Amino acid sequence: MPELKGDKGFITVLLAEDGPADRMLLATLVARLGHRVLTAANGLEAVALFEQERPQLVLMDALMPVMDGFEAARRIKRLAGEELVPIIFLTSLSEGEALVQSIEAGGDDFLSKPYNPLILEAKIKAMNRLRRLQATVLEQRDLIARHNGHLLTEQRVAKAVFDKITHSGCLGAANIRYLQSPYALFNGDLLLAAYKPSGEMHVLLGDFTGHGLPAAIGAMPVADAFYSMTARGYSPSEILCELNAKLKRILPVGMFCCATLLSVDTQRRLLEVWNGGLPAGYLRRVADGHYVELASRHLPLGVLENDAFDTSCDVHPLAVGDRVLLLSDGVLEVSNATGETFGEERLRTLLRECDEPARLFAQIQNALADFHGEAHDDASMLEILVSDEPISALPMQEYGKSWLISSQDWSASFEFRAQTLKSFNPLPFLLQLLMEVRGLRPRSGELYTVLAELYSNALEHGVMGLNSALKQDAAGFSEYYRQRDQRLSELDAGFVRFHLQIVPNGEGGRLLLRVEDSGEGFAVAEELARQQSPTSLGGRGMRLICRLADECTWDEDGRGVSVEFCWNAGA
Amino acid sequence: MSEHLDSAILSSLQEIMGEEYPVLLDTFLADSEERVRLLREALGQSDAQALRQAAHSFKGSCSNMGAPLLAGLCRSLEEAGRRGQLDGCEAQLEHLERELAIVRIMFRSERQRFVIGRS
Amino acid sequence: MTISAQLSADGQELIISVEGRFDFSAHQDFRNAYERVDASPKRYRVDLSNANYLDSSALGMLLLLRDHAGGDNARISLVNCRPDVRKILAISNFEQLFEIA
Repeated sequence: MPELKGDKGFITVLLAEDGPADRMLLATLVARLGHRVLTAANGLEAVALFEQERPQLVLMDALMPVMDGFEAARRIKRLAGEELVPIIFLTSLSEGEALVQSIEAGGDDFLSKPYNPLILEAKIKAMNRLRRLQATVLEQRDLIARHNGHLLTEQRVAKAVFDKITHSGCLGAANIRYLQSPYALFNGDLLLAAYKPSGEMHVLLGDFTGHGLPAAIGAMPVADAFYSMTARGYSPSEILCELNAKLKRILPVGMFCCATLLSVDTQRRLLEVWNGGLPAGYLRRVADGHYVELASRHLPLGVLENDAFDTSCDVHPLAVGDRVLLLSDGVLEVSNATGETFGEERLRTLLRECDEPARLFAQIQNALADFHGEAHDDASMLEILVSDEPISALPMQEYGKSWLISSQDWSASFEFRAQTLKSFNPLPFLLQLLMEVRGLRPRSGELYTVLAELYSNALEHGVMGLNSALKQDAAGFSEYYRQRDQRLSELDAGFVRFHLQIVPNGEGGRLLLRVEDSGEGFAVAEELARQQSPTSLGGRGMRLICRLADECTWDEDGRGVSVEFCWNAGA
Repeated sequence: MSEHLDSAILSSLQEIMGEEYPVLLDTFLADSEERVRLLREALGQSDAQALRQAAHSFKGSCSNMGAPLLAGLCRSLEEAGRRGQLDGCEAQLEHLERELAIVRIMFRSERQRFVIGRS
Repeated sequence: MTISAQLSADGQELIISVEGRFDFSAHQDFRNAYERVDASPKRYRVDLSNANYLDSSALGMLLLLRDHAGGDNARISLVNCRPDVRKILAISNFEQLFEIA
């Protein structure tokens, strides 16, 4: 007899019955339905046949010599494992006790004597349906398990790749504390930090719409652009422009990235904040313990076209000991057993009642864990302590070979005019040029800071005529930056000039750097004296410049300044 | 046919078994000798449990083969075995043997009729 | 979560009502609400009076509706927002893209 597979509903049926007439009759009935029949005269034979032939269905008499049907059913169910092999007990429905016993032994149905061919056929059909359903469920379960295994492997690989990129940053810095799930990437959370060449720290906390791979996909270009632009000294606004344009281009409509970008400048004691769509962060002032809310004022990244995108940052003065706290909405949405969320009010109460700022971060973490009942892993949080510790790990850029490497005797001049000043930041460009000179590389941070100070002086006080006296208090501070943005957007005349000259000196050399602007100049001697005052918040950073450069001279009329950096052979 | 055999069940068996119908009848008759021997043995040893099991099995066969009186007598013996009251069983077993003798004769003629009908 | 859509009597405005949690599970239904309409309404009104929760994927769905309705030329109002919902819209600065009432 050919092997009949289950696909046409034909299966192999094992029949265990000790009465030869009953066995013969039932075997004929089943065979006439098209199934293949195996017969056994007792339980032991039935178990042996089952092992050998793996039939799909069993008809089992309860009372048999050698081994009864109950024991045989138990053994067959054990052998079948996860596969459903229906067992129909052949017994009289009148015996309650025997029915209970056969169910306990794993029986799925009953057939009573005298056998009715129609009922037998219907029962075999029903059991066969059940068997296939179970087989499908198992198949799908295994398929899901396999897919899940693949997914986890892929996530591990993706995470390993991503970790290489994120860990190139400075999240490990001594003044940063953060909380993030190891698989935050797949919750769409992103946390990046890096130093600019001039020493400012850029921090980005991002939260992509959705979960899983779609949420993780945008993280890679964001991290890449953030790190490379920060390392080249680009400003927060320029980085935001690039990130927004990139995400707008690659993400489908309806996907975006809520984000906060910080620039923490410990030298000039400035905090710049751009928040698009994340819950408010907080700046805790060490002086009075008050909190400044760093609220969202923008649409998230990737929603607007760049021409409508607003990159203006809020600017706050900083003091050593101030703390900046950022959090993703996962923090506020941590929920307790009754489904209530942690929420902003609880956080604020916590902030208000905290009398030990050094423990604030841990206190929030504990409060979240207490509220949720266990550690929660869908929330990202970061705290930066403003310190005046020297930065240990400034990024070293990769420099390719070029003609300038060996050439140490050249000069160049640039004049940047109004239309360019409005939209272009020349600093990364100039720094990159100067970094071609090997002897200057160890001083990239100082050089960038001096360039940045000289440029912002020339642009803000010179070309745009902003009054630095405004920056004497926190309110004036904001006003100053408001005016700066406004005047810059209206700028239609003026220039800033850079003259660079590299002069070889034996094995070493000198950089002569001169910056001029089209402004009205200022009273140099007076300003220098005023900046000796320790209470001065802003000013022209002249002391900083003098400290970092080897030589530094202002023109008497304040419209030009010359600085000098020297290096020796060993550098 | 008679109170001894259920003609509806027999014609259904004949339809199911086709050519094998006489073989089924022979098989039942041969097996019934063995069943009665088991019943006798159990009763001889006053083993109520064995009596009950043997009667139960034979009852199933009899009902399948359309022998309602035989099946009923088996049920009485099974019941007695279950209760452990073997007192009236000897008489009942004799009754069962008489009934089986009648059924045997009727099955033989049924077999005869079938073979003649086919040839 | 239930989403229903109804065209105004003059056929000019499609009113989409969201009930319960407005999150990713509403994705297909919300889409169907404006894609499976035979008319081409000039305005859209999303009634959030019975929406008690809104997450970032719901914001994404609103952006998709905006895109469908003509992007920068879309006329979409989000009405009857509860305070919690309104707060989330405010944090995301969606009032720059939608009329929120």
